Amino acid sequence: MFRYILKRIIILIPTLLATSLLIFWAMDLAGGDPVDQILPENATYEQKDALREEMGLNDPFFIRYFRYIGGILKGDMGESYITHRDVFQTFMGRLNMTLLLGGSALIFACIISIPLGIYTALHQNTWKDTAAMIVALFGVSMPNFWLGLMLILLFSLKLGWLPSGGTGGFQYLILPSVTVGLGLAALLTRTTRSAMLDVLRQDYMTTAKAKGASRNRVIYNHGLRNAIIPIITAIGMQFSYVMTGSALAETVFGWPGIGRLVVDSINKRDTPMVTGSIILCCVLMAVINLAVDIIYAFCDPRIKAQYSGKG
Amino acid sequence: MKKVLLAVLAVIMMTVFGFSGVLAEGTIKNDLVIGVAQEINELNPMMQNDQINNNCFALTHERLVFLDNAHGYEIYPEIAESWEWTDETHLVFHLNPNVKFSNGTPLTADDVVFTLNRARSDDPTLSKVSGQLGLVTDVSKIDDYTVQVTTSAYSNELIYNFGSYPLVIQSKAAYEDANNAEPWLIGTGPYTFKEWKEGQYVTYTKNEDYWNKENRPSYANEITFKFLLEASQRAIALQNGEIDVCVDPPVTDLRFLEDDENVTVHTQAGTRLFYLGMNVAKDPFTNEKLRQAVSCAVDKETVIAIVLDDLGKWQTSVLNRGAWSFLDNDQIEGYTYDVDRAKALFEEAGYKPGELTVELFTPTDDPYKTIAPIIQANLKEIGINVDIKSMDQATLKSECAAGHQQMFLWRWNIGARVDETYRELFYTGFPTNYAQLSDPVVDDLADKVLTEMDQDKRLQYSYDYQNYMAEKVYQVPLYVPDLVIAYNKGLVVSDAYDQPGVLFAGGGNHFWARAYVEQ
Repeated sequence: MFRYILKRIIILIPTLLATSLLIFWAMDLAGGDPVDQILPENATYEQKDALREEMGLNDPFFIRYFRYIGGILKGDMGESYITHRDVFQTFMGRLNMTLLLGGSALIFACIISIPLGIYTALHQNTWKDTAAMIVALFGVSMPNFWLGLMLILLFSLKLGWLPSGGTGGFQYLILPSVTVGLGLAALLTRTTRSAMLDVLRQDYMTTAKAKGASRNRVIYNHGLRNAIIPIITAIGMQFSYVMTGSALAETVFGWPGIGRLVVDSINKRDTPMVTGSIILCCVLMAVINLAVDIIYAFCDPRIKAQYSGKG
Repeated sequence: MKKVLLAVLAVIMMTVFGFSGVLAEGTIKNDLVIGVAQEINELNPMMQNDQINNNCFALTHERLVFLDNAHGYEIYPEIAESWEWTDETHLVFHLNPNVKFSNGTPLTADDVVFTLNRARSDDPTLSKVSGQLGLVTDVSKIDDYTVQVTTSAYSNELIYNFGSYPLVIQSKAAYEDANNAEPWLIGTGPYTFKEWKEGQYVTYTKNEDYWNKENRPSYANEITFKFLLEASQRAIALQNGEIDVCVDPPVTDLRFLEDDENVTVHTQAGTRLFYLGMNVAKDPFTNEKLRQAVSCAVDKETVIAIVLDDLGKWQTSVLNRGAWSFLDNDQIEGYTYDVDRAKALFEEAGYKPGELTVELFTPTDDPYKTIAPIIQANLKEIGINVDIKSMDQATLKSECAAGHQQMFLWRWNIGARVDETYRELFYTGFPTNYAQLSDPVVDDLADKVLTEMDQDKRLQYSYDYQNYMAEKVYQVPLYVPDLVIAYNKGLVVSDAYDQPGVLFAGGGNHFWARAYVEQ
C-alpha cells in the first residue's frame, strides 16, 4: 500500500509541472499587462516601467516560468496582484470554507441518495421507482444557481427562516449545502440504484436468501457491501467536482470558497492567484482521488490484495 | 411523541435562529451593515485608489481637507484648520493642534510631511498614487503645525488632491516602529480597523478616543462592509434584514424593493460617464466626418432604456455630469442622435454603406456587453459593420494604452477635479489618453483651465473645451447612470457635511463615518 501511495505521489509531480506550465502559458497568452491591473488607471509611465522591471515582467516567458516554479519549490507561490496577500495562505483560508460546504453537501446527498437508491432498486419498475428517477433526473438537470435562487426566495425572502447568504453559524450553511447537495444526491441515487440492481441479480444474493438470512442482512451486508465500490467512485468524483467547481453556488450565496476565488481571480486577471489556485486545486483533486483509492482497499479485500501485490 | 418532536424542533430552531438578532442600544442600532458589490483589496491607502477601499479609509483616516463629494465638491477643514496659497507656487497648511491618531499620539507636521513625501515616491512598493502629486516639488515643515507644499506651477485643483483618500495622513512613528507590521492601519479617524475576512466582510469599530468626537460624533458601534457580489442576493439580504444598505441594487429588482415598506430606494444623479471611445490617431477615425457620423448614429436614449431601465442621463459633453462647469445637453451643440444626418455625414466622410468594418473592443462584463450590440445595430443602420471583440478589463486597458483599438467602450469617473477628464483622458501622451489624441488646442485649454487664476476666464476656458470636444467628437459620451441605493428605512441620511447620517456621493465615495440606523 505504501509503495502504491508513493507511486501515485511521484506520478503527481509531472502532472503538476504540466498543469503549471499550461496555466502559466494560458495566462500569458491572454494578453494585457498585469501592471495595468495593479496600478491605478492614471499611473504614470515611469511608475508602470518601474513596476514592470521590479516584477520581472520584461523577462522571456520561460525565465518567468522557472522563476515561478523556483518560488513554489521554496514554498513561495507569490502574492495576489489585487490584494497583495500570499496566494497559498489565501487559498488555504478559502479551502476550509469549501471543505465545510462540500462536506456538508456530500453528507446531505449521501443521507438522501443511498437509502433512496436502495429503495428504488428493490422496487424496480414500480411507480415508486419511476417517480424517484424522475425526481433524480430533475435534480441532475437543474442548474444549481437557479435552485439556489429559488431556495433563497422561498426560505429567506418569503418565510424568513434562513439567511440568504454569507457566513456565520450553522444556519448559513443550510441553503448552500442543500443547493449543492441536491444535484449530488440525484446522481448518487441513480448510481446506487444501478449498482444495487447489478448486485441483486448475483447468485450469492439468492444463496444468502436461501440460507435464511434476514431481508435487511441480505440487502445491507451482502448487497450494499458489494455495490459500494461504484458508489464510492461516484462520491469521490462528485466530491472533487464540488471542491473545485462550486463557483456558481458560492457566488449565489456569497460563500467564500475556492471556486469563487478562482472565478473572481480570472475576472480580475490576477495571474498569481489563478495559477497558484489551479495548481493547488490539482493537488486537491489528486489527494481526493488517492483517498478514494485507499478507501476502496478498506471496503474490498480484493483491491487491497492487488495493492499489496498479492492479488 | 408529537410533543417531544415539537420540543426538539423548537430547541433546534432557537439554537439556529435565536442568536442571530441585532443588539439594540437605545434607538440606535448597534451596528451598520452595508452590502457592497466589490471586495476591498488593500489596507494601505496610498497603495490603491479604488472606491470601495476609499469608503473604508474614510472611517479610519482623515485628510488634510474634507472634500464634500455629495454637495458640489465644497472643501472644509479636517486635519488642516486653514490653508492658503502664499504665492503662485507655495501652498501652506495650518494644522489643527488637537488631532490625535487612534493609538493616542498627537499628529504634527512631521506626519504630514512624511505621508506626502512617501506618496510622492515613484517606488511602486511605497506608493501607487505619486501621479496625484505630480506638480509638487517639495513638502516641508515650517513648524510643528504648519506645512508648506511647493509646486512647479499654480493649480486651481491641487487642493482637491489633499481631499482624496489615498492621501489621508498616516503616522510617521507607526512606520518607524519595527514591531508594527501594518503601520498604515493607524489613522486619526472615528473608527479603527477590526477585521477583514477575505471573501466575507471587513469590520470597523468605533474609536472611543476619537479626537473630534465632540463636534463630529459617530453613532454605530461597528460598521461592516459585507461583500455580496451577486446583486439579487444583496437585494434579498436587505429585505431579509441581514444588511442595512444595499449598494447598487439590481435595476430589475427595484420595483420589489420599492414595494417593501421597510426599504427606501434612494436615487440621485451619478457622475460615472460611460462612453464610446475612438482611436483618433489611426484610420479610419482620423476622419472627423466619420466620428461625427458615428456620434449621430448612436441612440443614447435607447441605450439608457435597455441598460438602466431609464435610470440615467445621456450627455454630449465629455465632462462628467455634476462636475464644475459641466454643460448640459441644452447648453452645448453636438452631434446628437439623427440617423439621416449620420448617413449624410458618413457619405461626406467618403464611405459607401457596407464598405467600412471597424472593431469595437469591449469588456466582457456588464454593462458593456449589453451596450456593444446596441452600438453595433445603430452603426449598421448607417452602413458601418462593427466587429465586437470582447476582453477582460485589464486586457482592454493594455490594448487601448498600446493604441491597438479602433473603437472601445469604457467608463470614467472623477472626483472634484475636471483636470481628471481634461488631462487624463485627452492630454498628449497621458497614459489614460486611450483616444491617442494629440491636439494642441485641447492641451492648451486643459492647461489654462488648470492654471488660470481669474475664475471667470477659467470658466470660459472650460466651456470652450467642452464645445471644442463636442465639435471634434474625439469621444462619444453615452450616459451617466443614476446612483441608486436601497436601504433600511431607519438609515439616517445627511443633508450637509457636518450633520449626522450618511453622505451619499453621486460618484460612489460615500461617507459612512456618521451613519446609523434608527430603530
